[in-house]
Parts: sequence; C-alpha cells; structure tokens
Amino acid sequence: MAFLEQHIHDEPKTFVSKYLISYDHKVIGKQFLWYGIFWLLVGGLMAMLIRWTLAYPGVPFPIIGSLLFPHTGGVVPPDTYAMLFHMHGTIMIFFAITPILIGAFGNFCIPLMIGARDMIFPTLNMLSFWFSMASGGLLLLSLCLPLGAAAGGWTSYPTLSTNLGQPGAGQTLWLLSLFLFGASSTMGAVNYITTVITLRAPGMDYFKMPLTIWGIWLTSILNAIFVPVLGAGLILLTFDRVFGTTFFLAGAAATSGKGDPVLFQHVFWIFGHPEVYILILPAWGIVSDLLAFFSRKPAFGYKMTALSLTAITVLSTVVYGHHMYTTQMSPLLTQSFMTLTMLISIPSAIFFANWLGTIWKGSINFASPMLFSLGVVFVFGLGGLTGLYLASTSIDLYLHDTYFVVGHFHYTMAASVLLGGFAGTYFWFPKMFGRMMDERLAKIHFWTTMIPLNGIFTGMMLMGWAGMHRRLYNPFIYEFMEKLMPLNKFTTYCAIAMGIAQITFIYNFVNTIFNKKLPQAENNPWKVGTLEWDMPSPAPYYNFKEIPHVKCGPHEMGNPNLPEGKDFQYQTEELVKA
Amino acid sequence: MNFSFFERLLGLISNVHEISAESMSFMEMIKPPEDISTNGHLIEWLFMYTTYVNLFWFSLVVIGIFGFSFLYSKKRHKKPLYTHGNEKKHLIITAAIALGVFLSVDLVITRVSTHDMKEVFWNFDDSGDVIKVQVLAQQWAWNFRYAGADGEFNTADDVVTLNDMRVPVGKKIMIQMTSKDVIHAFYLPNARIKADAIPGRFAKLWFDANKPGKYEIACAEMCGTHHYLMKAQLTVLSQEDFSDWVKESQSMAIATNDTEDVNLRWGWKWGSK
Repeated sequence: MAFLEQHIHDEPKTFVSKYLISYDHKVIGKQFLWYGIFWLLVGGLMAMLIRWTLAYPGVPFPIIGSLLFPHTGGVVPPDTYAMLFHMHGTIMIFFAITPILIGAFGNFCIPLMIGARDMIFPTLNMLSFWFSMASGGLLLLSLCLPLGAAAGGWTSYPTLSTNLGQPGAGQTLWLLSLFLFGASSTMGAVNYITTVITLRAPGMDYFKMPLTIWGIWLTSILNAIFVPVLGAGLILLTFDRVFGTTFFLAGAAATSGKGDPVLFQHVFWIFGHPEVYILILPAWGIVSDLLAFFSRKPAFGYKMTALSLTAITVLSTVVYGHHMYTTQMSPLLTQSFMTLTMLISIPSAIFFANWLGTIWKGSINFASPMLFSLGVVFVFGLGGLTGLYLASTSIDLYLHDTYFVVGHFHYTMAASVLLGGFAGTYFWFPKMFGRMMDERLAKIHFWTTMIPLNGIFTGMMLMGWAGMHRRLYNPFIYEFMEKLMPLNKFTTYCAIAMGIAQITFIYNFVNTIFNKKLPQAENNPWKVGTLEWDMPSPAPYYNFKEIPHVKCGPHEMGNPNLPEGKDFQYQTEELVKA
Repeated sequence: MNFSFFERLLGLISNVHEISAESMSFMEMIKPPEDISTNGHLIEWLFMYTTYVNLFWFSLVVIGIFGFSFLYSKKRHKKPLYTHGNEKKHLIITAAIALGVFLSVDLVITRVSTHDMKEVFWNFDDSGDVIKVQVLAQQWAWNFRYAGADGEFNTADDVVTLNDMRVPVGKKIMIQMTSKDVIHAFYLPNARIKADAIPGRFAKLWFDANKPGKYEIACAEMCGTHHYLMKAQLTVLSQEDFSDWVKESQSMAIATNDTEDVNLRWGWKWGSK
C-alpha cells in the first residue's frame, strides 16, 4: 500500500475560517449536522400539518394554523396539502437524512476512523456543503412563490410534474434545487470513495475498517453511480418544462411529438431504489459497530456482515422495477424484479443474525447509543419484513400506493435512519463537541421517540391494509375509509407525541454545545478502540499528530488475554494473544 | 387475540361520536373492504401467509433483542464471551437462518405470486362472454365507454358515462384504460386490483363481481390538487338489470349522442395498441 503524505494544515484562527469556510472535515461534518437538523424540524412540522389534516379534515391547525393559512382561517387547503407532502418527502430524504447520515457522519467519521488527517479533497468537501446550502436556498425560495412550491409528490412523476400539472415555477425550482443537491452529493461521494481507498492508515485493511466506514463507503459508491442518473432525469424534465421538449409528455398534452411518462419513472427509480439503500447503509454500519462496542465483544461475523452489506449494495441496483409494477411492465421483467427483490432477504437475514450474535453473551451497557441501536434492529426488522408484501407482484396489486407502502418505507427509511442518526449523534458527540450529552434526557428521548414512532408507522400499515390510499387530502369522502377515522386520529396523536419528544433532543443538543459550565468529556468515554477515541476530545484540527499504524480489528473487546482491568485495546495495539 | 386494550385506547383518545366506528372492534376496523371478486382471496391468502412467516421471523428478532438484553445486561453478565463469530458452528447457524429465510420467504412468495399473476391477474383472455369497458381517466374524473349495439367501440352509439360504472354480476369485466392528462390509477379495493392509467399507453385490467351492490372506485396515483375527489361509483347489477340498463342507455345514446362532437370520440378500437 502506498501512502500519501499528509501535511498538517495551519490552525484556523478567525471565526470565519474556523466555522464558516472551513476545509476541516470535522467542521464540515458539523455544518452538515446543523443543516440537517434545521431541515428535520421543517420537514417534521410539515409532517404534523399532514397528520393533522388526515385526522381533522377541515379543522384549523391549532396555535399556528391561522398564521400559516390566514385566508382559510387556519385550515390546510388542498393545494397546500399536496405541496406539504411533496416537500415533506423531499426535505426529509434530501435535506435532512442525507446531510446528517452521509454529510455529517461521513465527513466526521471517515478520516478519523481510518486514520487520516483530512479528506483527500478538502476544497471539494467544502464546495459540497455550499452546494447543498444553495440547493436548500432554492427549495426555501420555491416555498415563497405565488403559485406555491412543487406539489406532485416527491417522486414528481410526469406528466403531473410538467407544465400540464404544475404551472408554477415551484416545480422548476425544485428540479434545479435537487440538481444542485445531486452535484453536492456526487462531490461528497467521490471524495469519500477516494479518501477511503487512498488515505487508510498503514495496516488499515478493508477488513479492519469499522463497519461504519463500510456502510458509508458503500453508500458513497451507490451515490457516485446513481445520483447522476437522477440528474439526467431532472435535466430532461427541466427541458420539458422550460424549453418545450416532450421527453415525458404523451397523450393530448404532447402536441409536438410524443414521449413517454413511464421513461421518467424508470430513470427516477434506477436512482430511487439505490437511494433508499444510500440512506440506510450508513445507519446499518453505525449500528453494527455500536452493538459490538456496547456489548463489549467483537462484532459477530464481521466479515460476513461487511460482505452482506456489499451484496445488498449490488442487489439494490437491480431491483428498482418493484416500484413500478402497476405501470404494467412485461411479465418477464416484473417477475425478474420480484425475484431479485426477494433475494435481498438473504443477506439481510445474515446481518440480522450477526447483529443478534453480537449482543449474544455480551455484557451489554444500555447507554443511549446502544438503546437507539437496538431500536434500529427492532424497527428495521419490521420495516424489512413488511417489504416482502410489497415485493410480491400480486399483493402489490392491492397494496400499491396505499398507506401500507407509506408505513413500510417510513419504517425503513425514516424510523431506522432517524434512530441510527440519533445513535451516532449521541455516540460521537463528545468527539465532535467535547462534552457529553445528558444521558438521562437521552434515555427519555429514546423511549418517548420509540413508542409513538411504532404507533405512527404500524397505524399507517394497518390503514393501508384496510385499503386507504396515499396522498388524499380527505380520505373520509370514501365510504370504505370512514371507519378508519379513529385509527387516523391515533396515528396523529402518536405523531404529535413524537414531535414533542424531539424537544428533549434539541434542548440536550444545544445546551450541551453552548453551556460552558458543563464538564469536558474524557478522551474515550465509551472505552472503545477505534482510532478516533485515541485522541483528545474534541478532536484537534489536525486529527493525528502521527499517522497511526493499525494492527488489529475495530472491535477488539472482552479479550480474556488482556491485562487485568482492561477490556478493550486500541486498533494501534498488537492483538493480545494467549 | 384480545384487542380490548387497543379498542379502549383508541376509544379513549378519539372523538368517535361523529362516526359509527364507536361500536366497531379493532379487528373489524382494519379489515379490508368486502371482497366481491372471485380471485381477491388469492391476494389475501398470500398476505396472510407472509404475515405468519413474518411473525415467525420477527418474533425471533424480538426474542433476540429482549432476551439477550435481559440475560446479558452488564449487571447480570459481567464477562462477555470473546468470539468473532467465525467458527464453523457460527457459520452453520447463520447459513441455516439464511436458508430458512430463502425457503420460507423467497421461494414461496415468488412462486405463489407468479402463479397467481400468470393464471389469474394477467389472464387477459377476452374471448367468450365478457363485458368490455374502455376507461379514460382525466383530472379528476373517470369516463367509461361501453360498445353500443354494434359491438364496436368509438362509434356513435357507444354508451358513455361519467364516474358511473355499471357491471353485471358474475361476468368477466375487461377494462382497457388510458389517461387524457396525467397518470392516474384505477383502484377497486373491493376486487383488490389496481393499475396505472398512463397517457399514451393502454393499461389492461380485469375483474369480476359476485355481489350486487354499490362500491367505490378510487384514483390511487397522485394526480393533482383534487386527487382525493377522483372517485367513481361501481354498481354491480343482476344480469337482467344490467341488460335492461344497457338496452335503455343504448337507445338513449343513439337518440342523444351528437355524432359531430369530437369530445365524445375519445374511444379506440378494442385491443389496438
């Protein structure tokens, strides 16, 4: 292995160079974290408005309703409702989860955990953050337009998303905003991939990397390959909207030549299905590490877990058709997509077995990161297994586009990723900011999030089985759904409870960062052996004085040959043998 | 299973007085709408099978999480077992789990789905005594077209209705469908079927109805602000009532259809691509 020489940068002194236009991967990670949390709150508020409308159609939204919608007396109007669920999806996926899981943890963890002084392309890294700021700005701008923001669902299927269905500039701004986001993501991905390949410390083989890095690295590969595909689709759709082309127009609207709306669905889901794995892989990686750290034993079947994650990464690229069964592709394609989708259950079963194997006969410390990690195992179990219904072509005839789908993807993409993100935040917080978050509040946060969360998404799946379909402003105009009113209310109450529970997190997060009276964290509060814990907290701007030499795996804990009073060893130490 | 706890919970926190759900049990509430078709039960069967298999595997996960958390907490279990989980017995157990998942999940669901689709839901054989209907979806309504007395579609004597689909009991109803503007989806929960109506393409769908009555057809694909209002009524009539209705509507169609009106000519030749 050849190693690149890494110099120590000059220490940034001014506020601007330290916090705003920083090249330091740790600062960029923190910027992404703040950025993601901001959007999480915006997207969360939108979720509240959506849930409120579903439980109380026609009733003004309490407290802030009359401020937001003065012309209707506080009731969410139907066009705004469509805009809300479009924006909720977009914001949560591209502006909340991606920046937190990939932007924040990717940036913060990769160099620290592989033993590098920074990312390989620090300028590109900074540019990636400012591109995502610009894309967020465009999205905010689109909310202020007279005709409103895009309102066709986050998938933006044409022909609804062409001028035919979305006459306002909101949809165009949405396309441009996502295009910028894609550019930002691609920059990040290229940077991450190259950093992992070239800057691993001496001795850090691929199979000595923490699983977090495995998850983020695989995600970056998917990102680099598939986000450009989305970009292509977005550009074509922008052409259709702005320059009058007809790539995706058909039927009466296609006055100058005939395109095909289904083409966009193909392009979108070629990107869109890997995207769900892009979101979940970092969380899987984090969870795989944390389960081992807090059970005080090595990750069970480490290599198998890494390989199953890789297998899923590969499989995720060839299953996208299961989003499009109802467009009636050829039976051969449909069946192939079903079979390939089903195959994902095998690697999933393997790493689930390994996760349980990791905590088996451990000595489990139920600190908040561990609680959230166990939470991920629970909710991803539910989310993954409910995917089986939707992968089946025949059940999908009934369940497609119902709340069952909504419940399912929220379990996988929202619940698991959110809990994984919280686990990571509580875990790396001392290394990021130099103080420990309040453990008692963190545990309250866990239980007050976990319980309503399951209420919401199980409620949604049950509604879906009862036939309720998606994106309805008022489902109760259908007679067969009238009976679902109580369940909708229950789900809404759970959503409100979960929303309120996040106040504990926000308070804990902000207070711990800014309250100077709180004590400094130890260098290694969780007693784990990966490289980032063998340095001061918070991590210094140069990360490592000396580039470390890695000699053992990331989870060497509970080794009986270790000297008395020690139950883990650093990755820089030779594996202790009998 | 006793769901009275959930019922009470739901009753407690919801103002249920406005609807009749008050007296409804939880299980009744989450039941899908009544199945009026011959084949809807196939989907329900596979759904229930998947549910049982899922319950089995998920209960293993839950037992693992809670059981191990209980047995191996820091207090109860001070010395962790030092293993990397790569011994032969570990690999065998993992492989056995993967194989179990493959056999119980992948094989069965894939085979049953494929069988059901091939034999039933993709069986678009329209020979014999079937009722053919052309559907045109638009923002935000459903147009239905029945061939008139001449048996040909898109002629002056076609019976054309808006948001009102009528079918006889016990016959195969063949649908060809497209959309005028944006993508819609024809969703008949009572027959457990759904298909997208896409501009520029023809979708095919078939179902049969065994119980006379009135049912709802919904649009399941987001199609704009008033997506939620895009609802049509399906009326399942006895065969006599249906032929009476057809005869009456045909004579009315011949009398009232304006042969010059291009907007009435949205139909197409049956089976054309």
